[in-house]
Amino acid sequence: MTFDLTISDDQRQILDAAKIMLGRNYPQSRLRDSNACDSMTPLVEFGAFVLALPDTQDGAGFSVVEEALLHAAFGRHLVSPSSMAAAIGLRIALATGRDDLANAIGTGEIKVCAGTETGAGMLLFEPDGAAQAILRRADGIRLVDLAEADIIPQTAMGHGRPVARATTPAAVSNNAPAGEDLNLIATLLTCAQLLGVATGARDLAVDYAGIREQFGRPIGSFQAIKHHCANMAIGVDMLSAQLDMAAIALRDRREDAAFQIAALVRLAPKIALSNARLGIQIHGGIGFSAEADAQLYIKHAHVLGALAQGKDLLSLPAPLAPLEEN
Amino acid sequence: MQLDPTADDLIFRESARVWLAENVPASDAPHEGQPARKYATDWVARCHSGGWSGLAWPEAHGGRGLSAARLIIWYEEYVRARAPSALDCTFVALNHAGPTLIACGTDEQKAFHLSRILEGRSIWCQGFSEPGSGSDLASLATVGKVDGEHLVVNGQKIWSSYADIADYQELLIRTEQGSQRHRGLSWVICDMSLPGITVRPIRNMAGVSHFAEIFYDDVRIPLSDVVGKVNDGWNVAMTTLGFERRTAAIALQLELSVKVEDLITLAEPATGTATAHLLADLRAEAAALRAMTYRTLLREPETPFDGSMMRLVFAELSQKIHRAAIDILGPEALVAGRWTHDYMESYSETIAGGTAEIQRNIIAERILGLPREARP
Ligand SMILES: Cc1cc2nc3c(=O)[nH]c(=O)nc-3n(C[C@H](O)[C@H](O)[C@H](O)COP(=O)(O)OP(=O)(O)OC[C@H]3O[C@@H](n4cnc5c(N)ncnc54)[C@H](O)[C@@H]3O)c2cc1C
Repeated sequence: MTFDLTISDDQRQILDAAKIMLGRNYPQSRLRDSNACDSMTPLVEFGAFVLALPDTQDGAGFSVVEEALLHAAFGRHLVSPSSMAAAIGLRIALATGRDDLANAIGTGEIKVCAGTETGAGMLLFEPDGAAQAILRRADGIRLVDLAEADIIPQTAMGHGRPVARATTPAAVSNNAPAGEDLNLIATLLTCAQLLGVATGARDLAVDYAGIREQFGRPIGSFQAIKHHCANMAIGVDMLSAQLDMAAIALRDRREDAAFQIAALVRLAPKIALSNARLGIQIHGGIGFSAEADAQLYIKHAHVLGALAQGKDLLSLPAPLAPLEEN
Repeated sequence: MQLDPTADDLIFRESARVWLAENVPASDAPHEGQPARKYATDWVARCHSGGWSGLAWPEAHGGRGLSAARLIIWYEEYVRARAPSALDCTFVALNHAGPTLIACGTDEQKAFHLSRILEGRSIWCQGFSEPGSGSDLASLATVGKVDGEHLVVNGQKIWSSYADIADYQELLIRTEQGSQRHRGLSWVICDMSLPGITVRPIRNMAGVSHFAEIFYDDVRIPLSDVVGKVNDGWNVAMTTLGFERRTAAIALQLELSVKVEDLITLAEPATGTATAHLLADLRAEAAALRAMTYRTLLREPETPFDGSMMRLVFAELSQKIHRAAIDILGPEALVAGRWTHDYMESYSETIAGGTAEIQRNIIAERILGLPREARP
């Protein structure tokens, strides 16, 4: 046992394999011409949803640390939040003794989408074909059977990817929310995806700044643009460091896990939105157009931001407080 | 990725905690002059006699050669015990001059200086910046001409922290006539008591004097005090870059977490108020800075500009925390006090040691690979 934050060989292998799978099945360009919901089949085949389950539950035996790294890679490819919903839905099904349902989610037979509650009912993201949804509420997270819900497709923010309204089935309030550890895992994975969005926006902007020329030079040689790019890089660095910290704390059941996750969720939506916003600015006119990819990051950051909820950070004990107050 | 302390780590933490509880001075550090020197050197001497100085220095040179994990544990305990700020007049000696001598100094230089530094017997300052050369350090113009066994130095340095109470200075000067930029420079140990040196302390915006300008008028420095080769001073100045992540800057970064807790205690914010949101954001950013600090220390392989983002996050977060303190205090902040003083001092964070603008240029060019600006 030791202190070491180097990415391990196992972790590197998972990320390398994920990179190939994502590049093949979820190139960002897929979103240019079509707003179809992402298929979850390639992720099922990759074993994404059972990565962090123990062998005894037919999982791959890795931990939430590896799972968080994987979900950051998903976010970079703007993969549907149904990926997070499936990973959480499967765990809720297992925790409530519904092994058949868990199995069906794991094999992709049953699709789970992500949902959040607004004053007007549920909002579901990329709901096509979903039979279940995970729903965040103030008192915790639930798996909701959509068979009893009326689902009405809506036009999404900026004509983005599919969103629907659904009436919350009465039964939802009766079934108890999942335990706190599942809330924390859901938050961790959502924030990991937000990190991916922030990273993807950074890379797109830095690439463009290196090739787009004005006044006879690449715009990336102008300091205003450079400093925007530096700020995007700083955001990514902060967020990824905090993600590792939170994931390790959760995996090891450290007493500061809730604090680290609450700090993470305080940062992730802001940083992802800020990077996405700067990304549009750096692209100029084409950044505002629907024909370039920069705008995709803003919309995705808003969706994930709505799904990322955590505890009030100030209500939790801080791990690095002055000693005399303890 | 692991953050699991071993049984020995836990024993180490406990012994650090016990020692700090018994030895951290009860009084606050004076801000300037001889009282500041006495307080800081007494503290280093005390740390040394307890076996707690030179923690990151190699054992062969009198240090403890601690692992990154142990440094983290020590500095966590250090800030939680409210031990004296690491950024005092001993900072340059322990974190910069000493490591530079270890890397590039002669045996005589090491034998003379290293133990003095570790025992708190000598104070060093850094003489790099000049009136005409701040961000553009490589344009520096203070000259040293070889005359027999000596360099004869003429020129001026400025903003040199604690120069008024220092025994030695790391002095960067142009020793090759007509050389340009970073070529032809030398890194020299300058004894501050030599004839021809005039130190004029400069009062800062916090109302205290801890930096100074220095005039050199035919100052004769023995050639044996050149560190590394003559005319190779730029490389000598760069050698400590690798050591930088293992310095007491760790303490400053972790200390911000403690400051945020102090601010929460001061403000007692009601849930849902703007102040509560602000404090939650600061708490989250301090947590992330801690995470960045650990990762910089604990991730291999190290890349050359690893620490630059962390330093900038530190500088800007420190300023945000102090601005928040002033807002929370309201008009009471107009009367001198700890937060008010630290708030005034915090304006230097984005200037000293490379401005925020220069840091962003470095991040964009060296880390992200964006095209370089035109340079002389
Ligand atoms: C508290 C304190 C302690 C210090 N201690 C020491 C010490 O011990 N030893 C020592 O040698 N020095 C010390 N310094 C000096 C410090 O290193 C310099 O102040 C710093 O490098 C900036 O140089 P300058 O003050 O000449 O500002 P300038 O370089 O003149 O900068 C003025 C402004 O122009 C901007 N600027 C300059 N160049 C660029 C560029 N290329 N792109 C964009 N913006 C640019 C800067 O960011 C800044 O906003 C200290 C400074 C402070 C404030």
